[in-house]
Formats: sequence, structure tokens, C-alpha cells
Amino acid sequence: MDFLIAPERLELAEAVRDYLSGTHGPEVLRKLDADGNRDTAIWQGLVEMGLPGLLVPEDQGGLGMGLLDAVLIARECGRFCLAEPLVESAYVSVPWMIARGDTGRLAEVATGDFRPIAAHSINGWHSDGEDGSLHSVDPLRNLAQLPDDASDDPHLLDLGALMASAQLVGLAEAMLDQAVEYSKLREQFGQPVGGFQAIKHKLADVAVALEFARPVLWRAAQALEDGEGSAALHVSHAKLAASDAAYLAGESAIQVHGAMGYTYEVDLHFWMKRAWALSGAWGGRGFHARRVDDAIIGGDHPIGPQNTFA
Amino acid sequence: MQLQYTPRQQAFRAEVREWLASNLPEKPLLTLEGEEGFHQHVEWERKLAQGNWGMVTWPTSYGGRGLDLIEWLIFEEEYWGAGAPLRVNQNGIFLLGPTIMEYGTEEQKARFLTPMAAGEKIWAQAWSEPGAGSDMAAIKTTAYRDGDHYVINGQKTWSSRASFADWGFGLFRTEEGSQRHKGLSFILFDLNAPGVTRRPIRQLHGNPGFAELFFDEVRVPVENRLAGEGEGWKVAMATAGFERGLMLRSPGRFQAAAKRLVELFRKHEHNAAPSAREAVAKAWMESQAYAYNTYAVAAKIMAGGSIGAEASLNKIFWSELDRAMHRTAMHLLGAAAELQQFADGSANDWLEGYIFSLSGPIYAGSNEIQRNITAERLLGMPRVGAG
Ligand SMILES: Cc1cc2nc3c(=O)[nH]c(=O)nc-3n(C[C@H](O)[C@H](O)[C@H](O)COP(=O)(O)OP(=O)(O)OC[C@H]3O[C@@H](n4cnc5c(N)ncnc54)[C@H](O)[C@@H]3O)c2cc1C
Repeated sequence: MDFLIAPERLELAEAVRDYLSGTHGPEVLRKLDADGNRDTAIWQGLVEMGLPGLLVPEDQGGLGMGLLDAVLIARECGRFCLAEPLVESAYVSVPWMIARGDTGRLAEVATGDFRPIAAHSINGWHSDGEDGSLHSVDPLRNLAQLPDDASDDPHLLDLGALMASAQLVGLAEAMLDQAVEYSKLREQFGQPVGGFQAIKHKLADVAVALEFARPVLWRAAQALEDGEGSAALHVSHAKLAASDAAYLAGESAIQVHGAMGYTYEVDLHFWMKRAWALSGAWGGRGFHARRVDDAIIGGDHPIGPQNTFA
Repeated sequence: MQLQYTPRQQAFRAEVREWLASNLPEKPLLTLEGEEGFHQHVEWERKLAQGNWGMVTWPTSYGGRGLDLIEWLIFEEEYWGAGAPLRVNQNGIFLLGPTIMEYGTEEQKARFLTPMAAGEKIWAQAWSEPGAGSDMAAIKTTAYRDGDHYVINGQKTWSSRASFADWGFGLFRTEEGSQRHKGLSFILFDLNAPGVTRRPIRQLHGNPGFAELFFDEVRVPVENRLAGEGEGWKVAMATAGFERGLMLRSPGRFQAAAKRLVELFRKHEHNAAPSAREAVAKAWMESQAYAYNTYAVAAKIMAGGSIGAEASLNKIFWSELDRAMHRTAMHLLGAAAELQQFADGSANDWLEGYIFSLSGPIYAGSNEIQRNITAERLLGMPRVGAG
């Protein structure tokens, strides 16, 4: 038993964070929003970092890493509100393809030339296309109708929900950071608004929600990676904890920004809108709450202190 | 990350489980907030100590087992899973003990730690004063130097367990005229020393769970001071860190309550509010989240890390989880919530638990104070305005 994320894994995520903070700041989001929301240079940069190949086996040109690594990177993608659909193609589709033995084109995924679409029937649409008929509240998402052969494979659903949870955690962290920063700068009554307790306590509550969503996410990733029988339960738990934290972070961050937060002029809205989208995708609150409920209240999943881990 | 227990850890779990199964009191003990129950709980502490389970993480030289934090968590899981009694000596073993290990002299360690692990001396914490609750630096009780003794005068209050405990630890103003957190010393004293008067205070549940303490020229040897004179604040902050951090509330307690809540829900489902179902599932999820976080912190500490202000997040989380969980149970019980004892003669532990859970957000530094600490020290928000 060792519930600790290995330092190497954190270092990789740190490197991705550094990279994205240098190349994918809010000005990029604003530009994409104004000029059409894809930029091949961004995708190319991700390819150069090796990120599409993160989960592709080494003998096919990838990095051969695991779900926990992918979750850490997906969290960074959330933190920077990454416009490119890296997570769904490379961290949802790839492990699903591997699990099905569908490995023919993985090398192309690693080189960035093939971007598989992860489409599950629980979603009404997927987020890497241009359909024209569907508009997301998130200006950087390109919705398209699901293909007719969209899968209903539960493993795919769990992968999607896990990676959505990871992004939600990153989105919430970023919104908290933005609210904290703003609270130091904005002055009213002759002092920064962040000095007021009502504001401090709001953001402290976001910090609490995040502190206790993160380990649930780690656990879900590892459980899915290990093929634990109860992995689906842990994924649903993570999805609920992450989307609750993200909603709380978004609402609190808006409140801390005052009317400014209600405008298109601060960047906050990009993160919030992505969070709304991802909270509903890959099974909304109702779906995941029911799965937890069925296992814990209606089912026979062993609970209590002696069952923290299997 | 490795979510499976090692064979050694599993064997340890089995050992704990077996010992508890054959040593647990046959009948549930009376509440430790009353005199008779207090003494029953002291007996239990001694029995634990005989099995060498008093404080498993302590070095063997002080009556511990020298186990690591993961093994401690396994012990706690078995402990709460078995429904074992609350720990009447928690102030000693979880708060003062680690503080003595960090700041005590060899002589103090030998003198205080072994009897503590053995359950021979039960400890009370005496920090708060009537005028110094959240604002602990406002304490006034003095300890002036007279040769090789301190002489204590003043008053402490809300001191848990002090109605019946043997010893207390507290902060006293050892420098005349000093202000705020300067000039304070951390002193251990015998609650039976001449000049100490205890006035038990009835709590919400009617039992004297804590006490007011009056000091009238109480003489305490200087060697009962922990760390240097005037260093009391620093030492107390370390103790408070233990209190909010890892040790005071291990997750097993909440996981056991969540499990009981699920069972209660199944029994009362026919007339439960629709929202109760979600509240029950949430209790499970939060108790699990708390457990994972504790494992993560334990692993981090074992790898050489430490916890700082994150302890405040913990304290907010478990205390509010505990209150929500017990409130849900009260709603599920409906009319029966008011009964002290059910028709079958069993105690209404939910009612007692609910009442106690109301204090969680207050003691160990109120949650408002923890939110201030979180905002200022963890998030770096400005320290201006109220608080
Ligand atoms: C069951 C129980 C056991 C206890 N055991 C012990 C013990 O063993 N030893 C011991 O020394 N003490 C003990 N205490 C006392 C406890 O530490 C204090 O109650 C606590 O620190 C709060 O102080 P107070 O009660 O004076 O509340 P106050 O400080 O008077 O606070 C009243 C309210 O105002 C809020 N408040 C105060 N200051 C601020 C601020 N700056 N910002 C925002 N809100 C603020 C508080 O959060 C609270 O809601 C115990 C208390 C309880 C309930």
C-alpha cells in the first residue's frame, strides 16, 4: 500500500504545465475564440511534447505510460483550458483501442497524424468535429453529431468520465487561482476585497472541495488501470467530486469577481464554460450518482473502514 | 501508487482484528463524558496498553510498537470497524505525546510518555480561557517564577476531560506584562495539585464533558515546562497542528458512521425524504475521500514530507462531514430522533453523535478560523479587514 504519486510522474505533469503556461495563455484562448477555434501550431506543439503518444506503447512510437500519468496531464489540459481535443482522443480513445486489441493505427496517433474520436452513446455528441448545427456554450468546443456506430462500451464510458474528471479538477484549480489573484488586486472600501472574510471563506471552501476531490481522482485512475472490480464506482465518485468542485469553483470565482466576472472581458468564462460542458459529458451527475447509489445503498459493495481499499 | 496491502500489512490487520475480537468490552461503555463512563474508558485504555495497542506508532521504548503511518491507519480501520470505544486519552496520546516527542527533554519523555501509552495518566488540554477562545493569544493566566517552581494564578475553561482527568497541559503567561503570543510558556501540571479547583461544566447532552479550572497559587516545578521559557506559542502551534492534522480524527471513525448510516437508510427507506438518499451516498463518498486523503498525507510524511496549513482543510472537512452525516440520521429517525433510548433498550447513538458533531466545527480552532488560515496561508489572500 502506497498512496503516493511517484515524483517522476509529477515532474512530467510539471513540464507540461510549464509548456502550456508559455504557449497557451488566456490571450491564445481569446484569439482562438475570435478567429476560429483551431490552430494547427498548437496541435503540433503537443505532438512535439509527445503528448498524443503518452499512452501509445513504446514499440509503436509512444511513451507507454499509464492512466494515472494521463490523468495528471489531463488535469493540466483543464488548468489551461486547452482548446485541442487531446484528452478525448489520446487519453480516452487510445486505452480503449488497446483494450479492444484495435492497435493498428496507434503509431499514427503518436505522430499526431491520426486523431481517433472517442464517441460513446451516453453523450449526445462528440467534441472534435464541425457540425454546424450544434453550438456549445464553450466557444472552443466543436460539437458534432455522434456517429451511428457510437459505442456503448462501459469501459469507454469509464475512461471518458475519468478524463473529464481530471480536466474538471484542473479547471477548478485554475478558477480558484484566478479568483485569488483578482481578490488581491481589486480594491473596495480602501482595501483588497480578498481581505474580506466573506470572500476568503468562499475561496477556502473551494480549496476544501478540491483537496478532497483530488485523491478520489487518483484512486479512480489507479483502480481503472488495475482493472479493479469496483473501478466504475470509483470513477463515478471522481466524476461527482470533480464536477461539484468545478461548479463551486466557477460560481465562487464569478462572485469574487463581481460584475467583472459576469463579463466576457475577464478570461474566467472560458474555464467555467468548459466545466459546465464536461460536467455533463460522459455521464452527468444523475448517471454517476445513480451508479454510486446502486453500489453503496442498493448493492453489495463492501463498505466501512476495513474496506478503504479492496 | 500501489493500492494493495502487502502480505505483512494484511497479517498485521488480521492480528489487530483478532485481538479486538477477543478483548472488546462485552457491553458498550457508558459515555466518557460522565464519571462512571470515564472510568470504564480508562479501564479500556489500560487493557489496550496491556495488549501493547495504546499508541502503535510510538517507539517501543515508550510503550509503542514503532509502526509506520500506514500500519497506524490499518489499526484505526480495524479499531473503528470493530466498534471499539472512543479514546478517553486522545488529548494525551494524539496531541501532547507527539509534542513531547518533538520538544521534550529525554527526562520528560521518559517521565510522561510511558505512563501515557500505558493509560495510567489521562490528560486534559487547558488552553482556552473565558476571554481567550478563538483569540488564544489573549490568554491572561500567569505563571510567575519562584525559585525552581512556577506559581500559577488564573482560570482556564472548556477543558475536555478535565472533570476527571489526572494531568493537564496549558499555556501560561510567564513574562509579566507580556502581550499576545509573546512571553507564554507550555506547562504540564497535576490536576490534583493544591490550589487547582475544577468546576465541571454540563454540555448540551447534560454530561460534564469539560471543566473550568481555577488556579490559586498552584506550584509547579520548572522541569514541567516543555521547551524554553517564552516559547509556549510555538509549541502550542505544533500541538494544534497535530490536533487538526493527521492524528486526532482518523478516517475510520467517519467511515464506520457512514456504514451505519447506509444501514439506517435501508431500514427507513420507506419514509425517507428523496434527498436523504443522496445525503447518505454523499456521506459514504466523503468519508472515503477523507480516507484517501489521509493515506496520501501519511504516504507523503513517510516519504519525508510534512503537513502544514493543509491540516485546516482536513479539520473543516471532517467536522462538517460528521455533522451532515448525523443530521441525515436524525432526519431518517423521524420521531424516534428524540429518544435517548430506543424501545429495544439500545442507546440512541445517532442523537449522542449528532450533539457531539455540533462541537466539531468549534473545537480545535473553529472552522471560521480554519477558513482564515486556509485563505491567508494556503491561498495567499490578504490579511486585512476583519480577522
Ligand atoms: C466540545 C468542546 C471541547 C473543547 N475542548 C477544549 C479543550 O480541551 N481545551 C481547550 O483549551 N479548549 C477546548 N475547547 C474550546 C475551543 O477551543 C474554543 O471553543 C474555540 O477555540 C472557540 O472559542 P470560543 O468558544 O471562545 O468562541 P469565540 O472565539 O467566542 O467565537 C464565537 C464565534 O465567532 C467566530 N469567530 C471568532 N473569531 C473570529 C474571526 N477572527 N473570524 C471569524 N469568525 C470568528 C467563531 O468561529 C465562532 O463561530 C473546547 C470546545 C468544545 C466545544
